[in-house]
Amino acid sequence: MDTLTIVIMVVALALFFDFTNGFHDTANAMATPIATGALKPRTAVAIASVMNLIGAFLSTAVATMISVSMINDAATLKPEIIFAGLTGAILWNLATWFLGLPSSSSHALFGGLIGSVLAAVGLGGVNVTAIIEKILIPALFAPVIAGLAAWLATRLAYAITARSSEDDLSTGRSRFKVGQIFSSSLVALSHGTNDAQKTMGVITLVLVAGGIQKDGGHVELWVVTAAALAIALGTFSGGWRIIKTMGKGLSEVKPAQGLAAEVATAATILASSKLGFALSTTQVASGSIIGSGLGRKGGQVRWGKAGHVVLGWIFTLPAAAIVGAISAALVGTGPVGIVVDAIVTVGVIVAIFQIARRNAVTHKHVASELEEASEVVLTKKQRKEAEKAAAKAAKAGKGKK
Amino acid sequence: MITIDWNHLFLVAFAALVGSAAVVITFSLGIRLLVNADSIKPKAASGNPKALRSEAVNRAGAYVMFALSFAAVIYGVLLIIPGVIPSIK
Repeated sequence: MDTLTIVIMVVALALFFDFTNGFHDTANAMATPIATGALKPRTAVAIASVMNLIGAFLSTAVATMISVSMINDAATLKPEIIFAGLTGAILWNLATWFLGLPSSSSHALFGGLIGSVLAAVGLGGVNVTAIIEKILIPALFAPVIAGLAAWLATRLAYAITARSSEDDLSTGRSRFKVGQIFSSSLVALSHGTNDAQKTMGVITLVLVAGGIQKDGGHVELWVVTAAALAIALGTFSGGWRIIKTMGKGLSEVKPAQGLAAEVATAATILASSKLGFALSTTQVASGSIIGSGLGRKGGQVRWGKAGHVVLGWIFTLPAAAIVGAISAALVGTGPVGIVVDAIVTVGVIVAIFQIARRNAVTHKHVASELEEASEVVLTKKQRKEAEKAAAKAAKAGKGKK
Repeated sequence: MITIDWNHLFLVAFAALVGSAAVVITFSLGIRLLVNADSIKPKAASGNPKALRSEAVNRAGAYVMFALSFAAVIYGVLLIIPGVIPSIK
């Protein structure tokens, strides 16, 4: 199969991946403002996609981290290897979505690429230091940093707006809703700066591998534009999902808390984008929601829930790497392998989309990871209700005896 | 041997903590002042000169705080665009 065909396939798949990323992540930026009533769903989705678009144009540090730092000598790679990595990432992503496992599309992408390069070239093909420094360490610490920042910000917001007990005036905390319009837009912007760049990085990588571009040090304008448009479009079409399911899981998030969480998320992602840290924006947003929940009085962690969330974070990258390595082995067998890989990927994509459409709203995976993360912390009210219910149950039990 | 540059991670932690604290503190103060102004309003409406001034000061302060909060956000975004604010590489 000739190089150009493969390059075109990779570009198309990468843009598709970008689209699904936007589709999936609309909720991260806009779930809380919609839940608190700060924004109408339609407005929120429109703002999110525009901010995503703008964000994609702001920086290319993450993209060049992928095209230059992460993979050694991209020019010596066959484009087929990138193709294998990308299909591996997409397959893993769709599989976890279908099975309802928490996952990260960013980590799936890195895992797929790393796995396929390792399988095809060996350890010399990847830059281990860059992977640890720019992907693994941020993956571990960024959600914690965001959580800490959100915890601190929530504490501050509540302390500053607290009222002395003698006057019964309102705290004005519902006015944080107005601020949420800005803070959620900022999250969408930061999402564009980090996630859209991953696609740019992969496309640049395949352009270098295919000999179309000399080195991966810069990103072509058409690549930036295409990635920006794909993620914005995905964000926009992802809107219907959150419009239909909103307000269930995140109903306990208060405006002040939501604002604090969003500002912390945006600050963490923006700073990371600046330094070329490629992170999972969903994990950062989840960290912030947990941190801000703990920042409110009487918040309590449910460790079981937290464990489930974190488990998904840890397994995504190695699992996707295995799938990436398998597709690399398949692609390595020659043109037939490439065709088989392509057919399997497209087939799975189509199948999953059919299933998703049929089960559109009732499907359990419609709920966002953010909602799951918000359930990690019990609010004071929820805790009291649970205690009451337990006491009632105990009473009823005694009565029977 | 792999040597990890931890400085970048500290920089992210610093930016996240300080950045979000700055934005949230200014915004919360703005709300606090706005609530103050609103609570003085009935008194000020009755023509009490002291209350009138106090309301104006609180309200002006609130808008200054909102402006500062917004400025902090814009500064943060500009920081990540290469070449706009050259202090950080």
